[in-house]
Amino acid sequence: MMTTEPSVAAPSQRMRVARFALIAVGILGLGLGAFVLFDTVALRRLPGVVLWIGAAIVLHDAVISPLVFGLGVLTRRAGHRLTGGIIVTVQAVIVVGSLMTLIVVPAIWAQGLGPKNPTILTQDYAVNLGLFWLALAVVGGAVSVWLYLRTRRANQRPSLTQS
Amino acid sequence: MATVIGRLLGLAFLLCFGTGLYSHFLQQPLPWMVFPTRPAGLYQLTQGTHIVAGIACFPLLLAKLYVVFPQLFRYPPVTSFAGFLERASIALFVGASLVEITIGLLNTYQWYPFPFPFRQVHFALSFVIIGSLLVHIGVKLPLIAAHWRAGPRVPDEPRPVGSALAGSATEGLPRTRGLTGRLLSYIDATPTVPARTSRRGFLTTVALGVTAVVGLTAGQTFAPLDAANLFGPRKKGVGQQGVPVNRTSAQAKVATSAMAADWVLTVAVGDTERSFSRAELAALPQTDADLPIACVEGWSQMASWRGVRLRDLIDEAGGSTDSDLRLISLEQRGGFRQTEMGSEYVRDPLTLVALELNGEVLDLEHGYPARMIAPGRPGVLQTKWLSRIEAIDA
Repeated sequence: MMTTEPSVAAPSQRMRVARFALIAVGILGLGLGAFVLFDTVALRRLPGVVLWIGAAIVLHDAVISPLVFGLGVLTRRAGHRLTGGIIVTVQAVIVVGSLMTLIVVPAIWAQGLGPKNPTILTQDYAVNLGLFWLALAVVGGAVSVWLYLRTRRANQRPSLTQS
Repeated sequence: MATVIGRLLGLAFLLCFGTGLYSHFLQQPLPWMVFPTRPAGLYQLTQGTHIVAGIACFPLLLAKLYVVFPQLFRYPPVTSFAGFLERASIALFVGASLVEITIGLLNTYQWYPFPFPFRQVHFALSFVIIGSLLVHIGVKLPLIAAHWRAGPRVPDEPRPVGSALAGSATEGLPRTRGLTGRLLSYIDATPTVPARTSRRGFLTTVALGVTAVVGLTAGQTFAPLDAANLFGPRKKGVGQQGVPVNRTSAQAKVATSAMAADWVLTVAVGDTERSFSRAELAALPQTDADLPIACVEGWSQMASWRGVRLRDLIDEAGGSTDSDLRLISLEQRGGFRQTEMGSEYVRDPLTLVALELNGEVLDLEHGYPARMIAPGRPGVLQTKWLSRIEAIDA
């Protein structure tokens, strides 16, 4: 969460033209998308499309984002005695694992419903996901131990600037 | 940071958009379009890239949204009409992108829990996404240009996130009472990780995320990654005769007609028609070709095919290889029951009416008695259970 606004130079003529062109082509694209949607999708199906887009925004802004934000706060709190590297490692393990879970769980669900033919969803995704989490935890643990030992060694070494 | 992730996300979106358009026009060409038939694995590459880049969009899009999250709580939320339009276009971009990659992912295992048709909506939303992305880049262009010119910068110290979250609430005296106040002071009192560590950690996490979701699924199309294919919906070599199946004979309801003893393949040129039984096709000169079957869902499988060269068959029936063909399957219904093939594929010496697959008689699931196999075309156009081939008059 580190967005800053670098100082912006006064707009040049070229910049204005480029911005105008980008926005104009963008609006054309939006129009084309809307046209294709109305042209090829039955009218009674369109509310479903709008609903899904709206639900995606709500799901992201009201569920996923607060969860991720809360996770950041909680891990930093819980790990306040530890070096930053370890906190970041733990966060990375949780984030990468959750990301993979997000992508694989629908596959597990669809597998449960029964795929349309026996060559689709042929692997044991639940077991593989478990193994993936296990591997992540092992690697994350190893990196954390290494970081911990490195920091402790550095702290025990007599400081060069003293005396 | 927003620009760095944004650039990668933009690249992934453009890859998806370009390869998606290519796939779309292969299936629904405009009248003047001619496509390259070589390399034979071209569609395998473009559609494999489409799916891989699409999966990479999950970590990239979520990372981008994470970086810009505080802007959601900008206060006041709207200052001008143009600002309102910009925020609206971003909301549309976010919602449409999330829906686009989600339904794309579900389509890779043919699961359709959404109340609208996949193909049309996936196509239409791609224009909405690219359009709103261009509007967004246009609006942010001065910022992006400043970032490009700035060169290396010292990472910024993160502001306490609570201040962004709280908006106006932190103006004046800090609020520490009530539920909100306690929550905010709890958040503000949370120790921060040094900016350098945090920035590096974030970028490493995104890189790991992309590597994991791509590396552990891409094996369904890129053979060298096959051993790492833990999560791909398809696995190389799994299926009848070592080849996965998109549409089964049961779904196509062709089991009876395809196994009928009186099956013939009819080739119609102008007013003359010629019919070939399977034995007659097998008596014609046979050609071997190694060609991939590459599905629009992103998986692909190399296979050895044996059958009659299409151009030889057209010659035999008295036709010209300069005309386009209409290919008709035994299927009674389905979007690809009847498709067209441009003359560039008809002329290609690798295009076969295949009778054998991997050294055996073609399995019913792979299109017995005869199927089309051509270089560089999507699997849905490699018509199975062939029934009739017609020359389209130019």
